[in-house]
Amino acid sequence: MSPTPDTTAGNGGSFGPEQAAALLDQTTHQARRKFQPNPPVLNVFRAIVVLVAFGGIWASVRGQHPYTGPSAWAITLAYVLIAIVIGWSASALRRAGAGVTGPTQRARNVGIGVLLVAWVLVYVFMGALYHAGVSHEIIYGLYPATAPLMIVGLVGAANAAGREDWPMVGTTLPVAIVAAIAAFGGPVNAWLIMGIGLCAAMLGAAAVAIWQQRRSVVRP
Amino acid sequence: MTSDELDPLIHVPTRLKIVATLAALPDGDALSFTRLQDMIGLTPGNLIIHLRKLEEAGYLSSEKTGNGSASRTTVALTKDGRAALDAYTEALRGLLGGL
Repeated sequence: MSPTPDTTAGNGGSFGPEQAAALLDQTTHQARRKFQPNPPVLNVFRAIVVLVAFGGIWASVRGQHPYTGPSAWAITLAYVLIAIVIGWSASALRRAGAGVTGPTQRARNVGIGVLLVAWVLVYVFMGALYHAGVSHEIIYGLYPATAPLMIVGLVGAANAAGREDWPMVGTTLPVAIVAAIAAFGGPVNAWLIMGIGLCAAMLGAAAVAIWQQRRSVVRP
Repeated sequence: MTSDELDPLIHVPTRLKIVATLAALPDGDALSFTRLQDMIGLTPGNLIIHLRKLEEAGYLSSEKTGNGSASRTTVALTKDGRAALDAYTEALRGLLGGL
């Protein structure tokens, strides 16, 4: 950011309303961008990742009779991509929250903790389903394709609503909705529906983030 | 309406940048002095002068924690500060609409 000439006299000197409006917009845009924990480029990357990861799993289970579950290469690819997304997300969150303190930050940190617990519990429950002898179609298909993101999406939406972070509600709630709808696709097509649906949701979130960052403060 | 009617405390480029930056945070959140300095691009001495003026007007609050090299100062926009920026923005809209 280039330093701005200051008129410390307090009356603004030759600083006119047009310049003030431009500076107010420019500063607000820059601040919004720097405080944004989910930058648009990250959401676009997430969109590509979910499409490739879920698409890869769908390709590996397509045509299985009987259904046995995703292949090792598809699961490995998905985990590697998810690990990259988690690393980038953590870095973006840390950068955006650097030097920021207060109730919203505390609520966000608590929310992330709850989200991680929810994520683990979803897989613990998957173990219970396996123990109960549930079919491969459910335990290696329908359940892992939809349940983790449905639960995590709902928990994330509830957290965001508590902080009145409506753009985040708009990002997480569609994830849960897509997961609920994908379950109707069955153990094979649920993966594909999740990939396409989540990709659309992430691209939508990126578009909203760009609009939010760029909208003018002064001109409606 | 003329530009003289704009709040003189905010209608200074540096202070407008400080207030607009802090206003981008959710209500109640505070920003460390060092990150604010980094975002605004001012020397510490210059930033302190402007922060003091805004604090004296009740537009922002500051809090210092710790001692010595471990001390940390945070600043936050107060409700009055947010209201002042809203009024300033509204006045700007009025002025630009009339230009």
